[in-house]
Amino acid sequence: MDKIIELKGITKSFGETRAIDDVSLDVYDNEFLTLLGPSGCGKTTLLRIIGGFEKPDEGDVIFMGRRINDVPAYKRNVNTVFQRYALFPHLNIFENIAFPLREKKLPESEIRERVDEMLGMVVLRGFEKRSVSSLSGGQQQRVAIARALIAQPRVLLLDEPLAALDLKLRKDMQGELKRIQKATGITFIFVTHDQEEALSMSDTVVVMSSGQIQQIGRPIDIYNEPKNAFVADFIGESNIIDGRMPKDFVCTINGRDFECLDGGFAPGEAVDVVIRPEDVDIVDPAAGQLTGVVSSVTFMGVHYEIIVDVAGFMWMIQTTDYVAEGQTIGICLEPDAIHVMKKSEFSGMFGDYSCFSDEYEEISDPELAAAAEEE
Amino acid sequence: MKHLSRIYTAIIMIFLFAPIAVLLVFSFNGANSLSVMSGFSLHWYRELLRDSNTLISLRNTLVLALSSAFIATVMGTGAAVGIDKLRSRTALTVYDTVTNIPMTNPDIITGISLMLMFVFTGRLIGSTSSLNFATMLIAHITFCLPYVILQVLPRLSQMDRALPEAAMDLGCTPVRAFFKVVFPEIMPGVLTGLIMSFTLSVDDFVISYFTAGNGFETLPIRIYSMTKKTVTPKMYALATIIFFTIMALLIINNVMSDDQRAQARERRKARLPMSSTADMLTDAETVASPAKGRSRKLSDRGKLAVVACLIAVCLLLIIVPPALIDSDMQTLNVYNWGEYIADGSEEFMDVVSEFEDWYYDNYGRRVNVNYTTYATNEDMYAKLKSGAVSYDVIVPSDYMIARLIEEDMLLEIDFGNIPNYENIGEEYRYLYFDPEARYSVPYIYNINAIIYDANVVDEEDAQGWDLLWNPKYAGKILQYNNPRDAFGTAMYKLGIDANTTDPDEWNRALEELLRQRPLVKAYVMDEVFNLMESGEAAIACYYGGDYFLMSDAASEDVDLQLYYPDPTCYFMDSMCIPSCCQNKELAEIFINFLLEEDVAVQNAEYISYSSPNVLVQESEEYADYMGEEAMEALYPEIDDFTELYNANSFRNQDSATMDLMNSLWEALKIQ
Repeated sequence: MDKIIELKGITKSFGETRAIDDVSLDVYDNEFLTLLGPSGCGKTTLLRIIGGFEKPDEGDVIFMGRRINDVPAYKRNVNTVFQRYALFPHLNIFENIAFPLREKKLPESEIRERVDEMLGMVVLRGFEKRSVSSLSGGQQQRVAIARALIAQPRVLLLDEPLAALDLKLRKDMQGELKRIQKATGITFIFVTHDQEEALSMSDTVVVMSSGQIQQIGRPIDIYNEPKNAFVADFIGESNIIDGRMPKDFVCTINGRDFECLDGGFAPGEAVDVVIRPEDVDIVDPAAGQLTGVVSSVTFMGVHYEIIVDVAGFMWMIQTTDYVAEGQTIGICLEPDAIHVMKKSEFSGMFGDYSCFSDEYEEISDPELAAAAEEE
Repeated sequence: MKHLSRIYTAIIMIFLFAPIAVLLVFSFNGANSLSVMSGFSLHWYRELLRDSNTLISLRNTLVLALSSAFIATVMGTGAAVGIDKLRSRTALTVYDTVTNIPMTNPDIITGISLMLMFVFTGRLIGSTSSLNFATMLIAHITFCLPYVILQVLPRLSQMDRALPEAAMDLGCTPVRAFFKVVFPEIMPGVLTGLIMSFTLSVDDFVISYFTAGNGFETLPIRIYSMTKKTVTPKMYALATIIFFTIMALLIINNVMSDDQRAQARERRKARLPMSSTADMLTDAETVASPAKGRSRKLSDRGKLAVVACLIAVCLLLIIVPPALIDSDMQTLNVYNWGEYIADGSEEFMDVVSEFEDWYYDNYGRRVNVNYTTYATNEDMYAKLKSGAVSYDVIVPSDYMIARLIEEDMLLEIDFGNIPNYENIGEEYRYLYFDPEARYSVPYIYNINAIIYDANVVDEEDAQGWDLLWNPKYAGKILQYNNPRDAFGTAMYKLGIDANTTDPDEWNRALEELLRQRPLVKAYVMDEVFNLMESGEAAIACYYGGDYFLMSDAASEDVDLQLYYPDPTCYFMDSMCIPSCCQNKELAEIFINFLLEEDVAVQNAEYISYSSPNVLVQESEEYADYMGEEAMEALYPEIDDFTELYNANSFRNQDSATMDLMNSLWEALKIQ
């Protein structure tokens, strides 16, 4: 596959705040790449740098082998789907979609043909004469996509396009977007803070935090092999426990040795151990490798989510079997349930469920979030 | 409660619209009176169309309003876009305050400060007359700007900021993105700003008054200067037309913003959470919205309003052809009292344009007369003194001429250029203010008379000043509402020199006025016309020449008569050339022209005051036109006009006496 966009050492500050900090990233042709991170992590700024709405302070933006730092937005072969669609209220649906073609001064017959084709693709035939305000959110979303795609860009940038839709509609649109991407073969760069959305749609996920890339990889690798505590916590639920590696393929948690699949650490190195809640087996206390006391039980539909006090550290465990609050249980871990990570700046910040909250937005720096808003 | 609120609403409506209703009704009055209706007539509307000076000032007003509104709208929109881009809160507050200051500032302060600035910069660049059309335009733009900004700014902040970015993303340059996407969004605000600026500019008097040059008179200034005599009903006609024009603009504007509001409602609705599955339904099943197609209709309507405005103005501009532009054209700036020259209305000669033609025929060059007007000697003096404008001919009254000569503000006239000066009666030439006749050429004079209703006042009582103190007519007597004239009546009655500086004599005059006060119906100036015409009052002292206006408009059961008490006040308005004159010879030619028999007759007939021109006094045509009675009234037998005049006319008072007079006047009015 060919590289279509290369970002090299991009840095961008707003006043005192560093929104992007030395980011390098390759984007390949035809791929669906997602920039994932909490708000204020710099993902939108990165997208706007690619779109040409912001200039990086340092670093190069290379588009198909050419440096485009100084090329203005209207000359870039890249189009954007904005968060709140940004449809033009004074134009009807047809004219909204035809807008880029009119700017190129194409003949009327070609414009009609191509708009009709686009309307077919986003299933909005018959809406040509309607005004923007008479459309629902989902319909407006699809008009925005059609308008961005009609100019046949090499890359389509999508800035949290589904954030304004409700849950059910969002799921439908996820499928729709994936279908459109496959059908057109255009590279999509998609920005979201919703990890589920990122995992289900992307070929490549780029996890960002505080203006830096934490991990780049396929969704399955990001989930199974998170590089550090931030990624492990941000992608799905994780218990992140302090451990040690006495030798390869053995790690020590709470003074007990467990067999694992990781190696390559210095003997006795302190590490973060990630255990996904769904990978923990609950057994009789006598048969357990570890024991703990259930402190809370929440029914989630498919499973129960229980918080277990294991020697003072709160674990989250997902189980289909009911256990009662206050009950003592045993815990068993298979070798492939254990993922060992090197210690990082994020160690100790995440992965403890003693004060359970999945509001990851709240961990972000409010100033940084404000800066992102202002863009 | 319901009744109460209805009554309340009705009262407010009456307060708001009764004046307009009165104006409207009287604009269709056949007679020249505010008290007597004599049937429906379009007379005053026809008169209005014949009054070229008023129409020119109307055209000036519209040209000024349209150009200042357009420029203010363009500048204000630009400024709003700039302010909207600001991110710093402090900067926003600062700009907000700065733009609000001109709106909250009293007009009079804005006007004075602008005039000062223009005069100051004018002096710096060595210009002789720094006030002109451009300064007025700048002034109007200045006070319209904040209104435009305030209209456009909210539109910008309501707009989705991503819109211009989306346009650029889709291939527009930033400038194109503004015109294709941002402008349609803020257009209602821009149009409202434009219309507001236009109406504000048409409406403005105070700021215009201070910044107007000599050649450019707007309608409000012209109407104001007409109040020297009375406001003629053709002004009611004009006011009625203006009222309906402005109302039409307002209605268009409000209909548009209603549309806008409805649209905003639709948009808000559309932003509410969607019912999920219905959204995915493809076409016809989605709810049809009434907002469909609204946006297009709105912008069409906006354009329509502007186009209608433009067409209306263009039509008016065609009706009143602008002055011919000629590179060889000379300009003569004449500054005179309102309604003090025959102006082409009611079969009269249009003296100004007649002069322009006559000059071209005799000298082969075009001259353009900028004819502007004032309402009081003091207005004229202030304008002259400011040095902001230059005039070639002015027509001040006696005491003001004395003051201007004293302050070296008049040029000596070269009578070699004014052969018609011989038409001026010998006895009018050497009056006290210009005893050697070097600075002034008499134009029109007047004698204060006592006017009475012969149906009320007994014949034997109608003589001397005593009539004004006659207890028989208590409650029917009018007295001047200005100290100089009022004290004058008492002094003439008591045989005191009207120009005395002796405080004892002034106090005696006050006592006399206090004695008269219980008999007085009202202290009045221009209201004298209505009170006398309608018969509500029966006795008044007023300018003799105005008697004809009154008796013509008097109702049937009122028989107005006049006599001159002895002594009484005389005044003379004379033509002078101020020291700022740019073309003295042309000024003298103009003065000479005004002394021609036919021209002077037309002016004397139009103004209806007494003429010092012998040819006028002897003209048969004039005597026929005025009538025997009027001729007697206007030209009473006087042995020695010069002596009487010098003895009895008001002169400049020293400031101590003026202060004394004002404090005594207050004592009279307050006690």
